[in-house]
Amino acid sequence: MHETIQAIILGLLTGGVYALMASGQTLIFGVLKVVNLAQGALVILAAYLSSSLFASFGIDPFLTVPIVAPAMFLLGVAVQWCLLRPLHRSDASQLSLLVTFAVALGIEGLLALVYKSDYRTMQPSYANDSWTVAGYQIGEVRLAACLLSLATLGALALLLNRTRFGRAVRATVQNPTAARLLGVESTRVAALGFGLGAATAAAAGAVYGMVYSFNPNSHYDLISRLLSIVILGGLGSLGGTVVAALAMGVLSALVGALVSPVWSDFSFFVVLLAVLLVRPRGLFGARLRGAL
Amino acid sequence: MSNPSTGTSRGAGSGRSGVRTAAAAVVAAGLALAGCSSSSAAKPAASSSVQGPLTIGISLSLTGDFSDSGKAAQRGYKLWAQTVNAAGGVLGRHVVLDIVDDTSSPTQVVTNYQNLITKNHVDLVFGPFSSLLTVPASQVAKRYGYAFLEPAGGGPAVFSQALHNLFFVQPAPVVQQGDVFADYILSLPAAERPTTAAYPALDDPFASPIAAEVRTRLEAAGIRTVYQQIYPAEATDLTSVVSAMAAKKPDLVVAGTQSADAYALVKAMVLLKWAPKMLYLSNGANDPLNFPTNVGAGHVNGIFSSGDWFPTATTSGNAAFVAAYTATYGGTGTSIDSTSAEAYSCGQLVQEVAAKTGKVDNATLISTLHSGSWPTLEGDLSWNSAGAANSSYVLVQWIGGKLLPVFPANRAQSTPVLGKLPWGG
Repeated sequence: MHETIQAIILGLLTGGVYALMASGQTLIFGVLKVVNLAQGALVILAAYLSSSLFASFGIDPFLTVPIVAPAMFLLGVAVQWCLLRPLHRSDASQLSLLVTFAVALGIEGLLALVYKSDYRTMQPSYANDSWTVAGYQIGEVRLAACLLSLATLGALALLLNRTRFGRAVRATVQNPTAARLLGVESTRVAALGFGLGAATAAAAGAVYGMVYSFNPNSHYDLISRLLSIVILGGLGSLGGTVVAALAMGVLSALVGALVSPVWSDFSFFVVLLAVLLVRPRGLFGARLRGAL
Repeated sequence: MSNPSTGTSRGAGSGRSGVRTAAAAVVAAGLALAGCSSSSAAKPAASSSVQGPLTIGISLSLTGDFSDSGKAAQRGYKLWAQTVNAAGGVLGRHVVLDIVDDTSSPTQVVTNYQNLITKNHVDLVFGPFSSLLTVPASQVAKRYGYAFLEPAGGGPAVFSQALHNLFFVQPAPVVQQGDVFADYILSLPAAERPTTAAYPALDDPFASPIAAEVRTRLEAAGIRTVYQQIYPAEATDLTSVVSAMAAKKPDLVVAGTQSADAYALVKAMVLLKWAPKMLYLSNGANDPLNFPTNVGAGHVNGIFSSGDWFPTATTSGNAAFVAAYTATYGGTGTSIDSTSAEAYSCGQLVQEVAAKTGKVDNATLISTLHSGSWPTLEGDLSWNSAGAANSSYVLVQWIGGKLLPVFPANRAQSTPVLGKLPWGG
């Protein structure tokens, strides 16, 4: 029983880390209807930037977020403006897959050139610390990641629901043509939306870099998980992303601890396929997408 | 230490395994290609009577997945050439390295060695990086009667070819890397031996077989297995593995690891505040530069690993090698990739054979290296008929924040320390 409860705790905390990473992916799909295959690479890029600031200047990884986030935002805006905006509208969804994958490969190549392929991890003094509560271990960084994830998602929700920019985003999501007729500059909204999605990678990268070892190739494993989470949650649904990430974390941890780690990822995909058979839009895709 | 057989990156593991699968086809293609060529096109001879430089052809992964290790091998080869030329060359002949890039491709490596031998007419060849490339490359060398001294192809596929011209310039095949730890455990008095053991291992042909070999020997000695598990390369988070393992309370953990999963195992143990009495990690922990930075310098002491070369080794020429390396490339001894030492050792062997026989042709190299024992940075090496060296790896342990050889006694620089690992437990 102890093993099971510990696995659930670890799974929930791991799910929180993934929710943070997947939130940008969801936002970008919600705004642009673009499946951003570069999101994993953006997280790894942010992890490297955060790691460099930590190693060179001793800046705590969490404090690197406000430094890295604007850079990631500008990168996201540039990618959208220079590479995605020119795509022909009728083919944009399909071609954006190729464009974002190319961006991911470009980032990977650049990172390999600059940082080499050795694995690295950020190790502030508290990186592997945990609190013992009733005999169970709660990782400090993972718990912080959960809280950061909630804060990020909350901020995004506020931005989308309480600001003029948010209304423009939601109008663009619901009906781009009508939004344009009402004076919304949809291309600008799209660029800012992509930039915001990329900026969330700053927080995700800082956490990822402390919890896991990473190298330039790490984005391949990461993007497959992020896509699975946003598809299970419902493409474009922030709330669905959180639920799916927590489900993935708990299921993987339970199967890994009680059955075998060989089956932990597979079990999640079985659940994903089962849900999609019953609900092709994912858990919350239909209900919440419009509310993004 | 870089993995001598697979490259280093787990993140691209699935991609690499796909390439590995293709290796057999490439070997077949290489053989067919070689079969269609005229063997008279190559001149596998270079004796002391021949004037001019001694050219050595090498294909290295200077780009692609193995480029970091390929460049490390390049540094080792070049350093040896620089060193030997400064001393007058080999039998008075200036050494010239003809190094070409194979882009980490098992197809390109065949083309490269084919060209080096039949077009460039190099006198000798040295091996590339990784078993994946060594297998097809060694077939080309065999076809033309070239000796194939190779620093980084230690996987089973290399030795299953049973090539008489191949010499793996490391102490033993990679799957035997953990044997030295089993030797150490079995050398302990019965009262000090662990009674139970766990064997987590990465699903990788250069990780899980190492743990399996140790398990076989320890089980035969009565050490009971309480947990064994193979985890996939995609498993970045090993807390669930450690949680399940901790529930079995093993005295000893023998993990077949590469780098990232070795870090993940230690981090998970620290997070869960659980430690066995003894911990052996086959790879990852034998990297004096990257291991402390990835798991935290405060978490390394007591951990065992094993490897083929270490900067403080007292093997033949090692002090001079380290001095020359740091003078040429900068850094310190701990920043030297073991692949550089492995590559350098290939050159040492050529020098020694030349000094002993007065000749430096391929036939002499092959016949001479198959007799006796040869001192290198990797220790004294001798080979079986399939090219596997007959020596053993060195057991190392993190003691006082340093990675020190502790077993066998003739290579040890410190006594193994048995005690609690520095976190929880």
